[in-house]
Amino acid sequence: MKEELLSVGIDLGTSTTQLIFSKLIVENMASSYTVPRMVIADKQIKYKSEIYFTPLLGESQNRIDFEKIRDIVEAEYKKAGIRKEQIDTGAVIITGETARKENAREVVNALGDFAGDFVVATAGPDLESVISGKGAGADEYSKEHHTTVVNIDIGGGTSNLAVFQRGDTCDTGCLDIGGRLIKADADTHRITYIAPKLQEIIQMEHLPLAVGDTATEANVAPVIAIMVSALEASVGLKPQGKYYQLLVTHRGIEFKEPIPCISFSGGVAEAVYQSRKFEDKFCYGDIGILLGEAIARSELCRRMKVIESRERIRATVVGAGSHTTEISGSTITYTKDTFPVKNLPVLKISPREEQENLGESLRKKIEWFEVEDSLQPVAVALTGAENPTFAEVQTYAGELLLGMKALMERGLPVIVIVERDMAKVLGQSMYALLGYGKDVVCLDGVRLQEGDYIDIGRPIAQGSVLPVVVKTLVFHS
Amino acid sequence: MQDTDVRALVEQMVEDMLKGKSIQASSDSKSSYAASVGQNNRVEKMPESTDGGQILPDITQIDLRKQLLVKNPKDREGYLAMKAKTPARLGIGRAGARYKTATMLRVRADHAAAQDAVFSDVSEEFIKKNQFVFVKTKCKDKDEYLTRPDLGRRFADKEKEIIKAAYKDHPKVIIVVGDGLSSSAVEANAAEMIPAISQGLKAKGISTGPILFIKYARVGAMDDIGEITGAEVICMLVGERPGLVTAESMSAYIAYNPRHGLAEAKRTVISNIHKGGTTAVEAGAHASGIIMKMLEQKASGIDLK
Repeated sequence: MKEELLSVGIDLGTSTTQLIFSKLIVENMASSYTVPRMVIADKQIKYKSEIYFTPLLGESQNRIDFEKIRDIVEAEYKKAGIRKEQIDTGAVIITGETARKENAREVVNALGDFAGDFVVATAGPDLESVISGKGAGADEYSKEHHTTVVNIDIGGGTSNLAVFQRGDTCDTGCLDIGGRLIKADADTHRITYIAPKLQEIIQMEHLPLAVGDTATEANVAPVIAIMVSALEASVGLKPQGKYYQLLVTHRGIEFKEPIPCISFSGGVAEAVYQSRKFEDKFCYGDIGILLGEAIARSELCRRMKVIESRERIRATVVGAGSHTTEISGSTITYTKDTFPVKNLPVLKISPREEQENLGESLRKKIEWFEVEDSLQPVAVALTGAENPTFAEVQTYAGELLLGMKALMERGLPVIVIVERDMAKVLGQSMYALLGYGKDVVCLDGVRLQEGDYIDIGRPIAQGSVLPVVVKTLVFHS
Repeated sequence: MQDTDVRALVEQMVEDMLKGKSIQASSDSKSSYAASVGQNNRVEKMPESTDGGQILPDITQIDLRKQLLVKNPKDREGYLAMKAKTPARLGIGRAGARYKTATMLRVRADHAAAQDAVFSDVSEEFIKKNQFVFVKTKCKDKDEYLTRPDLGRRFADKEKEIIKAAYKDHPKVIIVVGDGLSSSAVEANAAEMIPAISQGLKAKGISTGPILFIKYARVGAMDDIGEITGAEVICMLVGERPGLVTAESMSAYIAYNPRHGLAEAKRTVISNIHKGGTTAVEAGAHASGIIMKMLEQKASGIDLK
């Protein structure tokens, strides 16, 4: 059993918009005399688009030009020779400052529908950190070398940090540090834009720097030094200075163990790795090159082991295209193929609630959920048992159905996602308890957090597994 | 050295070892230690023990995946992460050119468990509790069972009558349990797996009738049952040959139209059913799916697509 999925990744970043197509190879890694274990065995990038500046609208540039983006996407699909019907999975990710534009949500959703049937729309700095870190290959390096790696994806508007330990994602953080927080005319070097947070710092430091001035290496140097210093603090190399908190987007990384290795991705990473010499430091009309070179001289590169990242400016889009889709466990239950289902909010039951009174906790959570939103389909997520007896599975099934009574009364589907390998028997048990009168979806092998959203795709590999994308839909205002 | 002296010394050493103390002993006392433990299962019952006759901790209760015996490892967490992925005895350290006493004892204990699994019988209580119908192949004892595989595949006429009576309703699907080479495996997994299979089949409107328990069973015994009952699909749960990793691993052999002369390749097998492999309940749910597929395709083993 071997199957290929065609996946698309689209990244609308602060400064650039990109697209890739990749192939995900799904294969059974178990021997033929054991229970199958389908996994994504290989990921191959088939096509990389050009890198476009993200088109913005209006005087204040606070709207995304959807028409233009659609044209770009359409043209790239044509160039790659791919029709949207061929797309099996993928993700549109909107990142950095672009995620804060007025019409971010509409654009990303519209683009998700436009790009293919099961292409998910995602945003949020935590997810972006993970996606770019995986795109850069930091997770793989940490696994291969049994070590801990922090990847910093430094784009135009934000620096996304992700910590990977032996292949596992441990922590994420985000700072408002990027190459295009100060923009200058590429020819005259006249400053055309300074981001609000930097304005604040310039004011407090009494630096002679304002929109309209001519940018020089010397006059932007103090601002860059403050940004670099915050990055050093963010990975624990020095104490948090006075601007660290200001520069944190929503949270920094809190990982307490030492992090020996570092990798860089994003546009600025090209300058960090000094892949080539830049004569004119302002040739891109921003401070990205200077920021990258300052990082290369900083303690980040002197005190930590610097790892070559697999992707730099394309890390996020490669991550979105190749690393967002997971495969469910291979022994699962779904009594009817009603997929894809998109944007299911996750109701997570904590391991303690699971042990103590699963049904009652779930009932209360759903009640609370009903107050917050009008009741909609949800996915109930739990950890599950290591090696349950049949009687324990029956108890799980009974409690879950008790807890989901309100959902079923409104005709909403029963969707349960359990981490440990027990979904087939649990799903069958629930189906039996419902007298085979109501459809049940029960998956395992997927780890979910409270606040996540999940998309479930159409069954693949002769219906044995379901592709799953876990995401967060948090938009910044 | 007197026998009792040796025992006292052994007790002390095992105690020290479990407390993590390093043992500085001469090679002479070490070998007597090994000999004593290997041949004497009464170590924990020594009346003259130095700690007042308390029972020693059971070393087989230690999870090997979490036990790292390497002294001063460079990366303990990394080593343990690697060990978590395999039941192999990694990171056992060494004493000179040999492995440590703790490892030696554990290998012997696991080996003993494996031998016990082969040579002990599935308890009558277990068979009764699960309301299995008891039958026996042509083997008259364990020795004959181990040396004459052919007899473990066939039933005497008297036993055939019991089987015929049990399935007089001619169910399409029959579930049977065989002791095979590990009685421990059957006792650990069969009672959890069977209801999961039945539940999965029941959802598709198929009932299975009583469960047969076969003493001295080889996998081929299912072919004889096929001949006797005419069942379309037989699912046989059988204890696997135990190893040092686990003595509790069970397999499910499932075949469409099992009759005398069935090629081995026509059997579908789910192996490694134990708490560290595929769990019994999940394997049961999976087996029900396979059985349904066999009924649809009228095939099994390599013919099953």
